[in-house]
Parts: sequence; C-alpha cells; structure tokens
Amino acid sequence: MIKVKNISKQFQKVKAVNQVSLEIKKGEIVCLIGPSGSGKSTVLRCINGLEIPESGEIYIDNELLNKENQNYHQVRSKMGFVFQHFHLFPHMTVLENLTLAPIQVMKKTKEEAIVIAETYLQRVGLLDKKDEYPNKLSGGQKQRVAIARSLCMNPEIMLFDEPTSALDPEMVIEVLEVMQELAKEGMTMVVVTHEMGFAKTVADRVVFLEDGQIVEESTSEAFFSQPQTLRAQEFLKKVMH
Amino acid sequence: MEVLFSKDNFMFMLNGAFMSLVLAVCAVFFGLILGTLGAASKLSKHRLLRWIGNIYVEVIRGTPMLLQIMFFYIAIPIIYQSLTGNRLSANPYICGLIALSINSGAYSTELIRSGIQGVEKGQWEACETIGLNYFQTMRYVILPQAFKRIIPPIVSEFITLIKDSSLISCIGARELLFSAQILGSRTFDLIGPLLVAACFYLIMTITISYISRHLERKLAESD
Repeated sequence: MIKVKNISKQFQKVKAVNQVSLEIKKGEIVCLIGPSGSGKSTVLRCINGLEIPESGEIYIDNELLNKENQNYHQVRSKMGFVFQHFHLFPHMTVLENLTLAPIQVMKKTKEEAIVIAETYLQRVGLLDKKDEYPNKLSGGQKQRVAIARSLCMNPEIMLFDEPTSALDPEMVIEVLEVMQELAKEGMTMVVVTHEMGFAKTVADRVVFLEDGQIVEESTSEAFFSQPQTLRAQEFLKKVMH
Repeated sequence: MEVLFSKDNFMFMLNGAFMSLVLAVCAVFFGLILGTLGAASKLSKHRLLRWIGNIYVEVIRGTPMLLQIMFFYIAIPIIYQSLTGNRLSANPYICGLIALSINSGAYSTELIRSGIQGVEKGQWEACETIGLNYFQTMRYVILPQAFKRIIPPIVSEFITLIKDSSLISCIGARELLFSAQILGSRTFDLIGPLLVAACFYLIMTITISYISRHLERKLAESD
C-alpha cells in the first residue's frame, strides 16, 4: 500500500531523514517511534507529500507520489492526515469544518456532505457538537473532529502525527479509542506516537527511528518484549517505567 | 450677504459630507480588491508578480497623494484618447475615486499581506491534506481569517480616506471641503464654513472609530 524507497530530507544543514525505506501493507497499523528529532514526523510528512524528500521515492498503491505527475492529487487524496495541533478552521463550525472539502473537492451537494459529516461525527461521538466553533471544544474533542474531517474525504490510509502529544493526559484516551476503532475496521494506519501503550496493543509493527534512520523494525510484540538493538533497549527503558 | 447658518447651507454642507463619505466607502472597497490582488502577487511564487506588487506599493506609498490625484485627472483622458481615439473630458469624481482607490489599494496590500502571513502555516497544511487547491484554501480558509484580523487597520484606513478625500477638491470634485470653500466665497465668511466642515469630518471620524472599537471588542470575544 505504501512503499518508501530510500528517502532523504534535509533541513538547512541537519539531515532529518537519511535513506529511509519502509513498506506498509494494506490494513496494517504501523507505529513510528523514537526520541524527538529522530525524523519520524518528517518521514510521515513525506509520505503525505507535506514535505518533499530530496531523494528517494514514495509509492502509494504502486503509484509514484510526484508533484509533476497528473495523478498527484488523486494519489494524495487516498491519505488522510491528522496533526498534533489539530489545525481545525477556527472561523467555521464543526460541521462546516467537515463539509468544506467534500463540497469543494468532491463536488458533493451540501445535503450529501452534511449526511457524511454527521455520520463521522456520530462515530467519533461528537454529533451534539456539530454547531459549535472549535474554540468551544476541549483538546480531545478537537482532535476527534480533526480525525472526522479527514475521514470525510474517504481515505484508504490514515496518517497520524503525534495525535495525542498536545493533549491533557485525561483526554488522550478518547482519541486513542477513536483510533483503535479505526484500526479494527481495517484502516491502514501510520502513527507517529509517544504512546507506547497504544503502540504495544494496537500496532502490528513498530519502526524505531533515531537520527533520521531506522534502527529497528519488528512486530510490536517482539519489539516490546525483546528489543534487538541497544538503542531501542535504552529508549524503552526510559519511556516504559 | 447670505447667513452661514441656514437650512439650505446646512443641506449643502451635508451633501458635501455625504459625497466625501461615499468616495471613502468606494475607495476602501476598490482598495480592498486591489489590495487582495496586490497581496496575492506579493506573496506569489512568481518573481515577476512579486516585482509588480512591490513596485505598486513602493510607488504609491512613496509619492504624495495630491500628485497621484492630479496625475490621474490629467492622464486618464489622455490614455482614453490614445486607446479609443475619442476625446473625454475628465470627470473629477471618477478620476478622484480612481486615484483614491489605487492609493488605498497600496496600503491595503501591505495590510492584507501581513494578515495572510499571520494565519498559521498549519491551516495551509490542513487544507492541503484534505485536497483543497490554492484558490479554495485562500477563499474559504485563509482570507476569512486574515480579514478578521485586519478589520481594525482597515477601519483606520477608511478614516484616513474620509480625510484624504478632501484632496480631490483640487481637481474640482465637490466634496465636503470644496463645499466649505464655495460657501465661504458665497457668504464672505472664510473661517466659518471651514469650522463647519471640520465638525462634519469629526462627527464622521469619531463615530467610525467608536464603532470600530466596539467591533474590535466583539471580535476579540469569539477568539
């Protein structure tokens, strides 16, 4: 489903991602973990096309992700993206946040878009908030709305960039539950996260990065019970108390 | 000799004040359109467009408005004639409005540009990930937020325009100041009509800045 081939990305003088290759199958849940600055978010942003790697290729469903290609937007539309800081549109109600893209991009009628939006709001448990503005919502609610906004575009892959890192601890769980639901339904998911509990229980596979490179990659069971590399062992010692 | 404070004279001045207000409203309106285009070109990826935007802003902000008004009053008939071959006697209101709009557009360009740049980068990225193109992103997400942010400086631009519209009296447009001058020569009272005009200006500007402060507080609430 996703094939990342030798991508590298540099910011100023710093190599954020260095020759990373990765393959993710349909329906697979993969967590990218590692210390901050390890390049995991950059890899995720490259997969979506928010960053363009200097070298290497990314294939989505065997199609090359390339700005020059005619199918670029169509390829990108297969992916939804959830940000650490939600990035809801503050001047629109929750419902308007969700219907904007279906109306403008998929050319749905307003009525159709509202039906879709309400379905997803129901699924993230926020149908009663549809007429609120984002500033009236808690962090956890905002993130659930952001997930619903992504889902409205009917993606085949969901990319999450530290979806719970900006949340108060008591709100983390409600977002993780929504993600777990998605995982159960067979969504292909790539999640950059510091939530080791989520990685351990939900992920099929864990990719551990450091200094822009993949250090270790294994099933989440193997990774958390018997990490192979010294770096992963040290990292786990620090984050699992 | 006429008396200054008669009903007719009051209506005469009120007419002038109305004309000043209408000119300022129109100039702000067209200025915002020009300013949006100007800001779009200043923020464009294309060097030529950025260049045009910069020259527009620098030339207009770097020359006196009075000069611009005189220039357009003289130049528009010449340009019209060279394009169509017909002669045109310049209408001072239209030429004045064009000059005011172009002038206001340059200042609005900078306001709108800073407003657009003030919108978080994440908003652009969010639009990108749900498939909106550049124009849809601008139209539905960025500009509404940018405009909300720049309403206070646009209002002060509006107040400036009410006052600066007096400059087009020099090409014979009968707005508030010109009305005062006419009244002055009719009544042989030169100071009185000027003071009356000043009162009219103050009533307009103070009212608008009062409304603006109220609006600002309202907008701040929803943030």
